[in-house]
Amino acid sequence: MYIYAITDHSRAAMPATPGLEDAPPLSIPYREIAAVVSAHSMEKIAPTQTYLWCHEAVVEALMADRTVLPVRFGTVVSGEAAVQALLAAHYDGLVANLKRVCGRVELGLRTLWDGVEGRASTPGRSEQVAQRGSGMDGRSYLLARLEEERQTQVWRQRAEVLAAELHGSLAHLAVESTYQVLMTPRMLLVAAYLIERDRMTVFQRMVNALKITHPTLDLLCTGPWPPYSFVTAGAVAASGKQREGAYA
Amino acid sequence: MSQLVARQKEFTLLELLDRILDKGVVLKGDITISVANVDLVYLGLKVLLGSVESVERMRTAAIQGSMLDVQGKG
Repeated sequence: MYIYAITDHSRAAMPATPGLEDAPPLSIPYREIAAVVSAHSMEKIAPTQTYLWCHEAVVEALMADRTVLPVRFGTVVSGEAAVQALLAAHYDGLVANLKRVCGRVELGLRTLWDGVEGRASTPGRSEQVAQRGSGMDGRSYLLARLEEERQTQVWRQRAEVLAAELHGSLAHLAVESTYQVLMTPRMLLVAAYLIERDRMTVFQRMVNALKITHPTLDLLCTGPWPPYSFVTAGAVAASGKQREGAYA
Repeated sequence: MSQLVARQKEFTLLELLDRILDKGVVLKGDITISVANVDLVYLGLKVLLGSVESVERMRTAAIQGSMLDVQGKG
């Protein structure tokens, strides 16, 4: 059996959306929650675009009329008994997660910037210094390296200040959020926001406002997603987690 | 316009991959995914990441190019 999501115990009918291999999704209840599954014949599930979107389509269809915890792709168990054993093992954590995300959706934001040019005064960190280094004495070489490091630090600080400003404008509209700075030199900000469903319009308006006030940035907003970024396995999730990763 | 649509689809796939493969509830440790394809998918993820940025560079260059044309004619 393939598991798509954990839901609250709902009397609503299963959506018509077909699952993997066109199998119909079924709900297996356990106390106050349920797992949505379908039968399948594959020994291993290949993460092809077809299967990925199929999984996502089932989860999003469920989101329309119940609270949903999306399960990571590729979760396969032997049968109904195994499903119920997993639900029992993780019960308290799953109930807590369902309560946290009830009535809420996830919006994602990626922001590209052009600030990568500020990293060093000329392109190529070590290449630049190596070129100059051939005719340089040791002291000049070290000074040049120090200057490069300083510029990189300044650049990184610019990124963190700008990312914090953008994130700050959006985070207060959200119940919870995560963000990461400079995942790549051009990817200034990658963030996810757990927001109340009825705040989606306000959030979108803020993103549009940020696009106007920051015309050199590319703000790419997607969603609403099931709350992938705001659930954890079993254990009660920490709230308001913030991950900051500086580009190394 | 079709370039924007294609880029939007690519980007949405990137967002999906980031979530569905790396996040969400983990009920058991041994996720049954065909290994070779995971490598390909993650390779694809990096290619997608690169292509989102490349499309952005192309779009910016195209806009700057067309602005220069307008100024030249004026």
